[in-house]
Amino acid sequence: MKPFQPEELIVEQGSEASPIYRNLRRALPSDVPFRFVGEVSRRIGDGLSITDRFGAAKKKLYLAKHKGEFFKKCPGSDGQVCCNYFVINFASNCPMDCSYCYLQEYLADNSELKVFSNVGDLIDEADQVLRKHRGMFFRVGTGEITDSLALEPLTGMVGELMPYFVEQPNVLLELKTKSDCVDSLLDFDPKGRVVVAWSMNPQRVIDWDETDTASFGERLSAALRCQQAGYRLGFHFDPMIEYPGWERDYQAMIEEVFATIDWKVLSWLSLGVLRNTPGLKRTMRERFPGTQLLTGEQVLCPDGKLRYFQPLRVEMYRKMVGWIRRAAPTVKIYLCMESKEVWQQVFGYAPACEKDLGNQMASGAESAWL
Amino acid sequence: MDWLEEIALRDRQSIHAILTSKSIDDSATDPRLGGADRLKRIKEQIRRLRFPRLADTEDAIRAKIQELKLHPEIRVSVPPGLEGGQVRIEFAAASHAELKQLTTKLTEATDNASMPEIFDLLAGQTSK
Repeated sequence: MKPFQPEELIVEQGSEASPIYRNLRRALPSDVPFRFVGEVSRRIGDGLSITDRFGAAKKKLYLAKHKGEFFKKCPGSDGQVCCNYFVINFASNCPMDCSYCYLQEYLADNSELKVFSNVGDLIDEADQVLRKHRGMFFRVGTGEITDSLALEPLTGMVGELMPYFVEQPNVLLELKTKSDCVDSLLDFDPKGRVVVAWSMNPQRVIDWDETDTASFGERLSAALRCQQAGYRLGFHFDPMIEYPGWERDYQAMIEEVFATIDWKVLSWLSLGVLRNTPGLKRTMRERFPGTQLLTGEQVLCPDGKLRYFQPLRVEMYRKMVGWIRRAAPTVKIYLCMESKEVWQQVFGYAPACEKDLGNQMASGAESAWL
Repeated sequence: MDWLEEIALRDRQSIHAILTSKSIDDSATDPRLGGADRLKRIKEQIRRLRFPRLADTEDAIRAKIQELKLHPEIRVSVPPGLEGGQVRIEFAAASHAELKQLTTKLTEATDNASMPEIFDLLAGQTSK
């Protein structure tokens, strides 16, 4: 994977005392210019088309204080089975450029690639929630509006958070990535509190639609290194893409994953098909006019998202579950943003409610360590 | 227009070639159709080209529903785009006797081998 290097580092005044600033200055080559600004503006690239604006936003890195809440419930999708997940957003946007990325729509008006400098506030906020609810077990992810590890060689953000999270009795921190940037993790003892998870697709899909991400082989090697360092792992086969010959590629991918990784260190696997919205499709058409993802047999679902029509995607899920089960008979598998009807058709059951699935996931994660 | 562009992208052919393909050309030149019906038929053909497997599954389900030989007062339908996986069954009765007659007919249809096959098709089990 080609390391990310911004064209410029822009630091909001007040952020220079942050350990992230120190890490950035240490990691960035001296020829990367940096400058201080009073406040990070949301007006990057005004006057440019969406193509230029979103693409341009990924080239500069901002360091700024986050003014809102860090710790939030994952919004999920209306009417779909939810896994009761929480998110911590320590950065916004991503240096990678997947054609299907929902951030193109979600962050269309706020697309600066930003990392937040007030790590102390983040930890304080998480600490308040975790202490107040010691009887609850939290699955927390950092990869909702950024990649958890793609910026790690520059920011050292995860390295700053790890010492706190590994000591908490009621949390499992999930670091979700398409990168191979795991070096900084290998020095920590995760103490059963950290899951490193990869979004996985066959190399053919990575070549077509996951620009500037690590190759399949690089992701798998990084996962193996984390396994050897004592981490729990996760894999998200999401978004699954349907194309002529997809079965051959996905089955081979799963076989390679389980030939490399001990499935007993997996906390969970998730499956999800390509999802977009009419608005995201317009952006994709503009930014990635040649992508075949635009041509799938997707229909509009009640939650406003386009998915492959139900019989087709249920068949895809069922095949994937079969291939996974052959190698990992009891690994926890869940569907991301799918209805109870789809769960029923794939697994023969559906979680009773979101807490039900959340508890199953949390207990699976906990029992592996207790 | 999006559908035409997406077919062109997928099949690597021009929109002109799609619009002059046999299925669309036949609809466009069918002398039995009026303007509105012709347009409707052309749209249906474009949809079939854009969503060929969805259209095939819908056709297969429609055929299975016909095999049920339902009483004309009983209507069986599936959701648009087949999303939801559920079969909708509707009927109306004006008397108790009619209700009993319709439910008997429906029970007979439920025992027809085509009924579970409809659910199988909705659940992506196309091999049966």
